[in-house]
Amino acid sequence: MPNEENKSGAQKAAEAEVESFRKDLGPFVVAAETTRMAMVFTDAKEPYNPIIFANDSFLSLSGHDREEVLGQSFNFLMARGANPEALAEIEAAFEGSSGSDPEIRYRRKDGSVFWASIYISPVRDEGGDVVQHFASFMDLTKHKQEKDRLRFLLDELNHRTQNTLATVQAIAVQTLRGVADKEVVDAFEGRILALSKAHTLLGRENWDGVGLRDVIDQILQPFGLNDRRVARFSVEGEDVRLQPQAALTLAMVFHELATNAAKYGAFSNDAAGQIAIAWQVEPTPHGDRMRLRWQESGGPPVTPPGRKGFGSRLIESGLAQELDGEVRLDYELAGVVCQIVMAVPQGGGWMAP
Amino acid sequence: MTSPLSGRRVLVVEDETMVAWLLEDMLADLGCAVVGPAARVNQALAMLDAEAIDAAVLDVNLNGQMSYPVADALAARGVPFVFSTGYNKVSLPNSYQSFPVLQKPFDRLKLGDTLAKLLTPEERGV
Repeated sequence: MPNEENKSGAQKAAEAEVESFRKDLGPFVVAAETTRMAMVFTDAKEPYNPIIFANDSFLSLSGHDREEVLGQSFNFLMARGANPEALAEIEAAFEGSSGSDPEIRYRRKDGSVFWASIYISPVRDEGGDVVQHFASFMDLTKHKQEKDRLRFLLDELNHRTQNTLATVQAIAVQTLRGVADKEVVDAFEGRILALSKAHTLLGRENWDGVGLRDVIDQILQPFGLNDRRVARFSVEGEDVRLQPQAALTLAMVFHELATNAAKYGAFSNDAAGQIAIAWQVEPTPHGDRMRLRWQESGGPPVTPPGRKGFGSRLIESGLAQELDGEVRLDYELAGVVCQIVMAVPQGGGWMAP
Repeated sequence: MTSPLSGRRVLVVEDETMVAWLLEDMLADLGCAVVGPAARVNQALAMLDAEAIDAAVLDVNLNGQMSYPVADALAARGVPFVFSTGYNKVSLPNSYQSFPVLQKPFDRLKLGDTLAKLLTPEERGV
């Protein structure tokens, strides 16, 4: 433990310096001493960055006494309790080469853990030389705990959603058993599964939205999207990030289109037909809009259905209402064509999560 | 070729009655003979002792109790099984990650494929 006798001359000089700016900067030093934000100053002129000032908040955050901290190398003190990944970041921050503020998990002297982000900045003298480093700590422990709790709740929500869908599936199948055709039961199950897959994707992305390509992948996979033996699908377009509601609606729409193709359209005659899906995003004065085209070919000649079923109703009115979009579903002789124009989030649609 | 599933005895472990019925019906459609359903860990373990079982469909969360003791007992007896869950696969503990998982709600094609793989020895573990 350092005392007056074994303090180095350099350290005594550094402490004298703190004393001198205590005189020069009176109110600011009092502010630094009493703020609830943990703060330390280190002496940049010494190679091991000794701590020359630590406020009370830092002492209570780290669990150390002032005597254990003053004169101690900053990195050494951090290395005692911080997670190893954070140490390299702290070093980079001291050298000014870090792009972001390091987040550390720190084990106090008594073993309890706190999370903090550290902001490190140089203090320069009149000549521009770095004479001190200033490090402040933002306590993130509560924030991390809340994040963990949110993660837990989201997992629970996803789990309950899927369980509820399984119960709905069970009720419907039991209710329809012996009353409805197998075809009806299959159609219902297919729709519930499509909805469930969209929910799984959204759950994985914390309900922030989901990529159009992931939606296409999940929904069309049972229809042979990734079947290497026969390439029946072509999918072209840069990935677009969809809002949750748009992702759910489009998942259901793709499911209906593909089911229809398998029953009556391009996939109804032994792998001869093709489905091409292509889209682009265009900027407009009202924000970015996506134009998507679903085009079938190579199936039997198309005849428009006599009455509108669930699928075409969902596609034509559901989409337009829910997506602030326009939809055209054409039963052309050579193959069904569905054209969708809808709003997507700004900036090409894709934003890193 | 007869289906690898016809006449095979499959234990259903599921705490929600209607979901258990659904599984029973799906398994019957696949030609399996259903054992159970068991709604609790101890019920499932008792059935394992009392009955001949070829495979099992095992709900992960039985009314708040995890079904891992049943998984361990099945593994110890060399009885293949598939977990069924509404959670993502990643939420299973590491030691159970290698077992197949069927997502709820059930895709009956996947149920059939998974059981056929489990009950066809040369394809096990593929």
